[in-house]
Order: sequence, then structure tokens, then C-alpha cells
Amino acid sequence: MPQISKLETMITAGNFIITAEFLPLPGADSKAAETASGFLKDRPAAVNVADNPHGPILSSLAGSVILEKSGIEPVYQIVTRDRNRIALQSDLLGAAALGIKNVLCLSGHHQTLTGSRQSASVYDIDSIQLLAAVKQMNDDGVLLDGTKIAGDFKVLAGAVATPDMKPLELNMIRLTKKVAAGARFIQTQAVFDLDAFAGWIKKANQLGITSKTAILAGVMPLESAAEAESLREKYTDLVIPDSVIDRLKAAGDAAAQAKEGMAICIETIKKIQSLDGVRGIHILSGGKEHRVPEIVKAAGL
Amino acid sequence: MIVAERKSIPDLVEILQDHKKILVLGCGTCVTVCLAGGEREVSIISSALRIASNIHGLDFEIEELTIERQCDNVFIEEATDAINRNDAVLSLGCGAGVQALAERYAKKPIYAGLDTAFIGILEDRGIWAEKCAACGACVLHQYGGICPITRCAKQMLNGPCGGSREDRCEVRPDRPCAWQLIYHRLKGIGQLERLTEIAPPKNWEPGHGGGCRVIVREDHRI
Repeated sequence: MPQISKLETMITAGNFIITAEFLPLPGADSKAAETASGFLKDRPAAVNVADNPHGPILSSLAGSVILEKSGIEPVYQIVTRDRNRIALQSDLLGAAALGIKNVLCLSGHHQTLTGSRQSASVYDIDSIQLLAAVKQMNDDGVLLDGTKIAGDFKVLAGAVATPDMKPLELNMIRLTKKVAAGARFIQTQAVFDLDAFAGWIKKANQLGITSKTAILAGVMPLESAAEAESLREKYTDLVIPDSVIDRLKAAGDAAAQAKEGMAICIETIKKIQSLDGVRGIHILSGGKEHRVPEIVKAAGL
Repeated sequence: MIVAERKSIPDLVEILQDHKKILVLGCGTCVTVCLAGGEREVSIISSALRIASNIHGLDFEIEELTIERQCDNVFIEEATDAINRNDAVLSLGCGAGVQALAERYAKKPIYAGLDTAFIGILEDRGIWAEKCAACGACVLHQYGGICPITRCAKQMLNGPCGGSREDRCEVRPDRPCAWQLIYHRLKGIGQLERLTEIAPPKNWEPGHGGGCRVIVREDHRI
């Protein structure tokens, strides 16, 4: 029988969970993953490996295997943007065979927002259909076309939510479906608007969603006001209020802005921790894995 | 209707430069309505090609003609004489029209003068927008008459992606998120419960996923 992941054990036990993110490089060796693992091995229960968010990089499956070998439990991210249902299921089987125990199912940034904007569009299935496919593989041991899976397939499936996505009713329809399709944990996009997040988690509590899945709130340390402005301009799933940008600008030079960005991140974590329904923190370091230990320490995680 | 856009004059000159006698052939149906390949555009493009020919010393002799429908053999027949007396044809029909001509005139070079873009409608003056992906298995009844396959950049069938905003799509700031439209539409007609069910993976085989499509109607084969 496949082993249960550390992440699943912590979800079941009701522990406060810390996860982080590793962004592989466009590299053909394991050095970046090994370097990142040095920063990530102590505290996070598990570390997500991003699936080509900005264009081709080392595959998230390979990155996950390298982290696993370094003693870190990976969350293998798999987007529906680039692979049809044949490739997705094949990769899931391969991941399970290589010892991967956690999978995060998402649609991914559209290809026109990456460096490979001329790519063909795939989107054969959406993120909720991928979750449902994983659930079927887990529960029934069969693939979407009814083929029986040889051996035991068992992975913990998770999904992403965007608390800032409005209207709230539509947001909750989507979140409810993700949980119904088998998402045992939800990692949110980076939270900057605490009032909006508080309203979102309150609604999820009222609907009973937080008792069915473990919600890990995303946080991201901003480097500068310029970076924040560029991020919110390019990615509509990142809502960074003017007040945050004004605060970064007011901090002064580059070093002072980076320090302020870290302070905002720590404050955000502390406020999020006080909210009912939050089961953990997901640190989105955006390729700056070296900042994770600092965040963990400063926030007292 | 099928919506198309004209190729640039430099591109057309490059395509046509090895020919002398050229028929610019317009189509009176969809591409006339979308102002890309009707009689008026035949005249404009022919004039531009004559000017380009003078500038580059290409010696083009351009003949102009527009027929009712290039995708229909009955109407193509009307262009036979003009096609025969020219070295090549620049079709201002859609991709179907160009290929209908090429299939009928085996020895005549037929070139596309337009980039065929999509099935859509005139949304506002000078704005055409895609509405149908011709997926071969219509799901509009489930989504309040708004197509998520065509109008959501990720063709999501179970709700918006995280990049959805109330006033825009993640991919194009000038376009609405289809899922916001679907949500408001279904709510307005009292069918929001349709969104709570998980839509299974779509069968793409009736679409282009099954290869080039042909419809055979036996009742019309007699």
C-alpha cells in the first residue's frame, strides 16, 4: 500500500500547516532544486513545485522527485494548460510510481501570459475535472476511459482558490465544486487585502467548506512597490491594494522597500492566523526560496 | 457569420509577385458583411495592388470580380471565364471559399487574400467578436446561451479561473470574463443551479479533435 503523505497526516490531525513553493529554473540539472531544498527542508510540511508558470522550466514532476530525494515532501503541481487528459493521467500515474503523494490541480496561467505566448491552447479538461479524475483514480482505481489502474494509486489532491475573485457567490460555487471534486486542501493566491480575505473565509465557514477541506492562506513577500505594481498589472489573480503599494513606496530605497515588504508579509500572516477556518499558511516565494526561513522565523511559525 | 481580415498589401505582393494577370475575386456573403472581402474591398485591394505593382515594377494586370458565394459550386461557375483568362486568383473569400476554388480549378494557383478569423457577430460599429467555436456538440443550453468554450480563454466548463475579474478577462483586459456573463445570465433566468453540478470532461471528437469533419445526410443523397 502507498504511504500516506505527511501533509495528509497533518490535515487529519488538525495541525497548523506551513507549505512553501519552489520555482524551478529553465535548467537541465538538479542544482536549483538542491539549493532551494537547503532553505525549505526545516519547517514547511510540504513544498509545492510550480508547473511552468511563466514558460518552460524544469518539469514539476522532475522537480518534485529531486525535492523528495532531498528529504522534502513535494506537492506536485499540475496545470491543465499544456497537457490533454491522456498526458495528465499518464503523468499522474508516473508521479505515483515515483513516490509523489501530493498533487495540486490547477488550470495555470494562460499561455499568452507566459514567455511562450505563441503556444497552442490545450485546456482539454479544467481544474475541477482534473480533481474529479484524480478522485476517480484514487477511489475507483480506474482512468477516465474506464481502464483499470494496475497497482495502488493514492495521492492527496489539492486545489487553488482566489479569495479576491468576485462576486462572492460565484467564488463559493467554484470553491464548493473543487471540494466536491476531491480537493482535500486549498492553497489560496497571495492575500494582501485582509478585509476581503476575512469576508471570504467567513463565507466558507458559513457554507461548511472549511470543515471539509484544509484552507492554507497564501502569502507573498513583496520586494518593492515596482514589483507589486508589475505583478498586479500582469496577473489579475493577484489583487494588491493601493495601500500596500503606498506603504512600500513610503519605505524609501530598495533595501527599505524589501524590508517593508517582509514586514507586511509577517503582519499578514499574524492577522490570518487569528481567523477561524484557516488551517495553515502557504508561502509563495516566487522563486526567492531563501526568504522562506526568514518569514517562518519572524512570524513565529 | 464567418469573420475575416485582409492580409497586408506587402504580404499580398509577396504572395502574388511571380504572376502577371491576377483575378481579385470577392465573395458576396459573410466577408462582405464583415467588410473584408466584398465588392468594395475587391476594388480597394485591386487599387492598392496596382499602386504596389507600379512602385515595385511588377507589371500586374488586375481584374476585379465578386460572386455571391465562393463556397458554393453554383456561384463559382459564374467566375469560370474570368478565372481561365488570368494566371492566378487572389480570393477574398474565407478559407472555405479559397479551398472550394482550388478544388475546382486544378491547374490554377488560388491564393488567400484574407486571414479567416472566427464565427462571430458585429458587436458594435467596427467591432466583430467571436461567439462560436463550432465544437460540434453545442452546450449553450447549459450556460444561459453564453459559450464558455468560445468565450473563456481557458474553455473552462465548471466556473471561472482565478484570474476572472468582474470587468475583464485575465487574458484580455478589453474583454469581459465569459464566466461573469454566464453567472449573471443564469442568475437572471433563475437557472444558477446549473453551475453547481460538475460538468464532466467534454467530448472533443465531434469537434476538430476528431479530425476534419464531414456531415453526410443520407436523406439528401438520393
